[in-house]
Amino acid sequence: MDTGTKISAIAHVSLISWALFGGTFRSEPLPMPVQDISVISAEQFAAMTAQSEAPELPTPTALQQPDAHEEEIPTPEPVEQEPPTPEVSEPNEPEPELEPEPLAPPPEPVVIEQPPELAPPEPEAVVLPTPPGPEAQPRPADKVAPEPVAPPPPEAAPDDIESPAVSLDEGAETQQEQQDQTAPEEATDEIVTEAEEAKEYAPRSSPRPLVRPNRPTPPAEPEVAETEEPTEPEPAPSDETAINDALAEALGQSSEPSGPPLTAGEKDAMRLAVSKCWNVGSLSTDALQTVVVVGFSLTPDGKVLGGTLQMIDSSGGTDASARQAYEAARRAILRCGAKGYTLPTDKYDQWRDIEITFNPERMRIK
Amino acid sequence: MMRFLTSLLLGLTVLAAPVYAQSGPLRLELDQGIIEPLPFAVPNFVPDGPAATQYANDLSRVVAADLTGTGLFREISSDAFISRVSSFEAPVQFADWKAINAEALVTGAVNVSGKRLTVRFRVWDVFSGQELGNGLQFSGTTDGWRRMAHKVADQVYTRVTGESGYFDSRVAFVSESGPKNQRLKRLAIMDYDGANVQYLTDSAAIVLAPRFSPSGDRLLYTSYETGQPRIYVLDVDRVKRTELKTQDGTMSFSPRFSPDGRSIVYSLIQGGNTDLWKMDLASGQSVRLTNTPAIETAPSYSPDGSQIVFESDRSGTPQLYIMPANGGEATRISFKQGRYGTPVWSSRGDLIAFTKQNKGRFHIGVMRTDGSEERLLTSSFLDEGPTWSPNGRVIMFTRESQGASGRATLYSVDISGRNLRPVRTPDGGSDPSWGPLQK
Amino acid sequence: MNVLSKVIALGVLSVMAACTNNDPSALGGGAGGNGSILPGSPSDPQSPAYFQQTVGDRLLFEVDQSTLTGQAQTILQGQADWLLANTDFVATIEGHADEQGTREYNLALGARRANAAREYLISRGVAGNRLTTVSFGKERPIEICSTEECYSKNRRAVTVLTGSTLG
Repeated sequence: MDTGTKISAIAHVSLISWALFGGTFRSEPLPMPVQDISVISAEQFAAMTAQSEAPELPTPTALQQPDAHEEEIPTPEPVEQEPPTPEVSEPNEPEPELEPEPLAPPPEPVVIEQPPELAPPEPEAVVLPTPPGPEAQPRPADKVAPEPVAPPPPEAAPDDIESPAVSLDEGAETQQEQQDQTAPEEATDEIVTEAEEAKEYAPRSSPRPLVRPNRPTPPAEPEVAETEEPTEPEPAPSDETAINDALAEALGQSSEPSGPPLTAGEKDAMRLAVSKCWNVGSLSTDALQTVVVVGFSLTPDGKVLGGTLQMIDSSGGTDASARQAYEAARRAILRCGAKGYTLPTDKYDQWRDIEITFNPERMRIK
Repeated sequence: MMRFLTSLLLGLTVLAAPVYAQSGPLRLELDQGIIEPLPFAVPNFVPDGPAATQYANDLSRVVAADLTGTGLFREISSDAFISRVSSFEAPVQFADWKAINAEALVTGAVNVSGKRLTVRFRVWDVFSGQELGNGLQFSGTTDGWRRMAHKVADQVYTRVTGESGYFDSRVAFVSESGPKNQRLKRLAIMDYDGANVQYLTDSAAIVLAPRFSPSGDRLLYTSYETGQPRIYVLDVDRVKRTELKTQDGTMSFSPRFSPDGRSIVYSLIQGGNTDLWKMDLASGQSVRLTNTPAIETAPSYSPDGSQIVFESDRSGTPQLYIMPANGGEATRISFKQGRYGTPVWSSRGDLIAFTKQNKGRFHIGVMRTDGSEERLLTSSFLDEGPTWSPNGRVIMFTRESQGASGRATLYSVDISGRNLRPVRTPDGGSDPSWGPLQK
Repeated sequence: MNVLSKVIALGVLSVMAACTNNDPSALGGGAGGNGSILPGSPSDPQSPAYFQQTVGDRLLFEVDQSTLTGQAQTILQGQADWLLANTDFVATIEGHADEQGTREYNLALGARRANAAREYLISRGVAGNRLTTVSFGKERPIEICSTEECYSKNRRAVTVLTGSTLG
């Protein structure tokens, strides 16, 4: 049999079996190990010699050589196949004796004692250095808020409720294109997972019409219709607070609230103002089961009176989860009230002391 | 004073005005908040000398990366900072951090003497100006700096969220390279964030599905080194492996430790049929748990060790079942459309993660242990093999891309379905097993 | 894409047709010169290569199935005949699955397939101790595309002659 014929025969047979079964030879026991081994060594060698490090952080090479083994770090026994690189990752046992030691109490910064309103630089004056946008957040909804909207996240300006910075059109427009791009700016009213995203693309990102309570302007009383009690046609309403205060003082009854109760709209406005900062996104699932009641007092200009914040009650969780829930509630009240809540000044006595129940039931992961 | 005068002047008028009685403070109830990453700042930790500078910077970066990676936090770039932290002891200028809307602030200091590294840190609630928890310090050797950073981040995470962290943990996985039809697989271990990859086996034989012991000291895995799939146990520190002599049968696979680490449950193939068995590690004795002509595999214990969730096709398609840990009657828990597999019980005990195949797509999902409240978290051409973070908040899994150039990559996702992200590994990665928090 | 692959397949088939016509005479001529068949070559009916290529070493399965198709039974009958005639050989039957399924389930499914083949061979008289099985699940596809065209070839049981009982 001449060589040409042999070659032809082998080639043909290969072709036939490839056509019939595809890659028959690869599952054959005989050629396979040989092939395997050669590939292994090459690949492995490459992989071993090019041990890559943590991708996210530029690791200082100087730190990577634990050349001299400290006495407290037993060297991990090298495996036969183990790469020759002196791997840093200390094994379980020879942990670098991380001993947690509590530190001395912190330096008492005077600031703590100060009521928030005394904080030196008024944020209004400062041009807020825009924090880098929620860059590269892969999720379509970076934020879940009571109202699914497109406006910028409240941490940019929590008190900016009234400025219609982003038009709804924009939201509608962006939703046409790459969902991912618009995602960081959006707030949806639900968590959208990848699984849901696939089937319910558009509707999820479409902004719902905003229902916003009327913002009460302190001097006028536009909410008459909603109030249960008749509003006093006061000739000088702006003086009312002062007058009531004065009266109360004069009568030695400074603690007794007075003035007309807040209208439903006014209450809603206050609720909304706080809820815009009530971020439960970082709460544990336990804390999300916990309802807390937080009490605090406001100054006449709507700022939180230092030292008055306290947890009045909690239910549905452990002490620890109540603490987390309280801290989130506290952050909400302080952050959104940093510039003072807008409340009708003539009704100060009605809102001087506030108790808010934070019920995260609807915010749980479902 | 002014007010007092006014009141005197207007006293009569005022008395005529109605005085509204109120029974107490204004009471409001909030049931809608927002869910967004909490903005935080980690100014570079303060080094106590030139030797500590690099460590201080790197440590604070790892802390920030850990927190950001959860999706629950968002780091405020140092470009926005108004004040610099140049001393760990100096009072914090809260106004400066409020102004940039940092809600949490982490300050720290690093000391290096010789090969010894000490990191001190504090966590602040900026808007209340209060410290969350107490200052803490960790000491160790310099080459363990990453672990110390993870420990700091775990503390921060716990203090803000109320949940234990998961940063100082490791993940065992299968490192994959080569084309689909000649895939080379090696057992590997790494920090949860993909750093410090170490290989535990070579790629001479196919290795599958490592599973950490509850304490993280051992790994179970399946290897073809004898030509047949068999279960091995590997001592992680010494990188020593032992074959487990399972009950008669050529093939055994899909092992998992019991919560006490003393026994394992696994699949054994006899005469083409796959059933579940349990082996006491001390005695090496195996006991049969299921006995059906159906496939029973992918078992996982409940955290209390009393039950086992597994996958079976006894109904015709693979579905999820729960049975007592010693065998016995199994209750089906998956009822929606599709095929279910690889259930894994969360360490918190309340949820079961699983792989679901439906209409040509694969999903990672979670359900309650009675099968209710099923939620699908992901969707792709091929997702499978979920593993829980030590705190039960995050799920890592394998995602394989489609086609001839298909490649396996590790991904993680928050149990809310948010924050889906790849975990970077040097090569492809599959079959992750998330170990416990390190001590 | 499908059209293209069909065109290619047709092309291959016609080449094959040509080959089938040519090869026997070519090989016959070569072998005839020596007066015997080259041992171990695919034309040697006692060779593993012959078993693999002429008898057929693999059977395909439907999605999720481990039941033997008529075609599979025909191939197995050929394998049984060959094994009964060549008693020196033992065989390992490898069960495989396509990538559509979890790793664990596919491993178990591959075992079912391998076992179905083994049982059939035993029913045809092959001694059970000559036949072992192993499942590779979805770990060793031979076709790597992610379409049914490839999947159908990956859902297979392959009978691999692993040596001789005589050692």
